[in-house]
Amino acid sequence: MKVDSGLAGKVAIVTGGSRGIGRAIVELLADEGVDVTFFYRDNAQAAADVVAAGSAAGLAIEAMQVDVCDAKACADAVERIAARTGRIDVLVNNAGVIRDNQLAALDDDDIRVVLDTNVGGVFNITRAVIPHMIMQRSGKIINLSSVSAEKGGRGQTNYAASKGAINAFTRSLAVELAPRKITVNAVAPGVIETEMSQDVRDLAGDQVKSRILLKRYGKPQEVAYAVWFLASRYADYMTGQVVAVDGGFKME
Amino acid sequence: MAQKEISKEEIMAVYPKVAETMADALGCDVDQVKLDVSLIEGLDAESIDFLDMVFRLERAFKIKIPRGKIVENARGDLPEAEFEQKGIVTEKGLAQLKSYLSEIPAERFKTPMKVADIPRLFTPATFCKLVISAQREAKAAA
Repeated sequence: MKVDSGLAGKVAIVTGGSRGIGRAIVELLADEGVDVTFFYRDNAQAAADVVAAGSAAGLAIEAMQVDVCDAKACADAVERIAARTGRIDVLVNNAGVIRDNQLAALDDDDIRVVLDTNVGGVFNITRAVIPHMIMQRSGKIINLSSVSAEKGGRGQTNYAASKGAINAFTRSLAVELAPRKITVNAVAPGVIETEMSQDVRDLAGDQVKSRILLKRYGKPQEVAYAVWFLASRYADYMTGQVVAVDGGFKME
Repeated sequence: MAQKEISKEEIMAVYPKVAETMADALGCDVDQVKLDVSLIEGLDAESIDFLDMVFRLERAFKIKIPRGKIVENARGDLPEAEFEQKGIVTEKGLAQLKSYLSEIPAERFKTPMKVADIPRLFTPATFCKLVISAQREAKAAA
């Protein structure tokens, strides 16, 4: 007998939802009947495009301009969403930045911005959301990690450290929240065809593809499917896991 | 900051709503939330239940309870260094704790007492005091 995903009517927050993987997640969840609010930092046009496309398709998508590095802005935004919907069922921590360079050439800002956004941002928004999930005794938290967390890559010390932190964060928070049946998992994409990874793909060219068993880059939707699965009731018995969506990225 | 002592009448005024809120957090019957029952030993509360109780009390009473405030309130005017040393409550600290948690029978204060074990003493009355302190602070700030 087919079991439905249980997502219809749920309320989700997706950070960094205006482009790339975030947009694919927003659209997939909304298409499943989820009431989705996504955060974006500064690209108002891209955010408006997502909302307009959703509206044209009859989907419940809202955009909020929130910098995840700003803890108060995160808390205020979450309270506004909770006041409107009465609950928060799914949190997708997707917002992230990349500033690749070899460590000796990284300036202070390259390190600070990547860690503040990719790690600090996850703390800020998650800390604002979990009181609601604890009180409602349910919730799904999905963090976007990266293949970089586990596999070395030149010029990625800042990014890799931030994503390694996300894997550790995921496992510890899973332990903390399990008594309230809140699951915490991560999805670790490999090289995905997005604006953010354009430079990586341009620089590495076919050399990166040779390290991918499936010999191609991933599509944002292919990452979104994994997030969708972890947000659904199909993944009720999974927590503290990091799921790789990387085409079989291997270390050579 | 020195706090005016909290009277029994004040506690009883908030207790029904506190008990109801705590029962929701603990998933137990409101009748089990007696004023003096140990939350950990009597009602099997875990650390996440304490957070849940705080979140629910904030919502129910429209107050803000800073995290870790219970121990801070219990410490009163006593500086942290005089209240505990290397994770163990000092003699002075224990006297202060007994005075703040006056509703708790003396035999429940074990010595030496680890700071980490202080939550074992907490009862619904402790949370009533927490609510009253937060209400007072909000009133003073208004």
